Amino acid sequence: MRLVLHELSNVHPVLPIDYHKFGGLALQRSGHVSPVIAPIVHNGEELEGSIEWAKQNMDFMDMIDSNRVTEDGAEAVAIAYVYSKAGWVAKRRLQKGESADWLMVNNDSCLALEVSGTISGDLTSRLSEKMKQVVRCSLPVEKLAVVVRFETPSVLAASP
Amino acid sequence: MKNAEMALYSEDELDVLVSNAIRRAEILDELGSPAAQDAWHEVMVYEERLASILEPSALTGGIARVGSILAAFAAGKRDEAVRLASRFLAEPSLPHERRAAIDRILKEDQERLELRYPALATKVRLSELQQWRDEAAKQPRVFPLVA
Repeated sequence: MRLVLHELSNVHPVLPIDYHKFGGLALQRSGHVSPVIAPIVHNGEELEGSIEWAKQNMDFMDMIDSNRVTEDGAEAVAIAYVYSKAGWVAKRRLQKGESADWLMVNNDSCLALEVSGTISGDLTSRLSEKMKQVVRCSLPVEKLAVVVRFETPSVLAASP
Repeated sequence: MKNAEMALYSEDELDVLVSNAIRRAEILDELGSPAAQDAWHEVMVYEERLASILEPSALTGGIARVGSILAAFAAGKRDEAVRLASRFLAEPSLPHERRAAIDRILKEDQERLELRYPALATKVRLSELQQWRDEAAKQPRVFPLVA
């Protein structure tokens, strides 16, 4: 499964134009070059992703908040993943009060997507936290929590 | 942005504007920037415009309605938030889930006020605070009022 970050803006016009850059910066910061293979576990199903991105100028890291790179980079990877997995396209960003980050659409279905990123560390407990959060989303749509790690690239996803 | 200019934007274009505006406001909030309130006001304007072109019963219409109220509170415009909430709650086709979301936002705001002004809250005088805010808002001022 290909997760192509530099095509994000073409597929999802609502995404901020720099999202794919943050995805690339977050991966390069951890020493990776494109493409990088990342194991994906989605509701227990094991998959393999190839994350691809256009090489980014690391000088930008001096000007950008490191946490922002991690969070927005994770959103870039997560959105690339749900598009690649099931054709979900970003419809709009949701405010914090909705307990999810993005409303995604796919034909007649909608999905509330909650994302979190980390440079390193345990993804399971982070996914558990994000699951609790997205469960609070009261919108009558499907829900999915996705967590992304950059040092040893991997993606964990689960629906409540 | 004037209403006539806003009317030129389609739903898809407003989705782009509101998505970018929310992200900008979140970043400014994280930085503790005084510009955050203006950024949330911009979000409120886009959400309100989306609410005006989308049916209350539509998923995205409901999201925009709740979003405009959330953004109004974040912008420190409590009066505007309450006005929007009253307007949207009066729409018969607004789904029950969205009504509950609006009620929850209003309740959370009330709880925030009670925490911030415990003395007034214990004396059941928070309504006087709102009256004072209304009066103060009518007076000329140099600096913006805090939320």
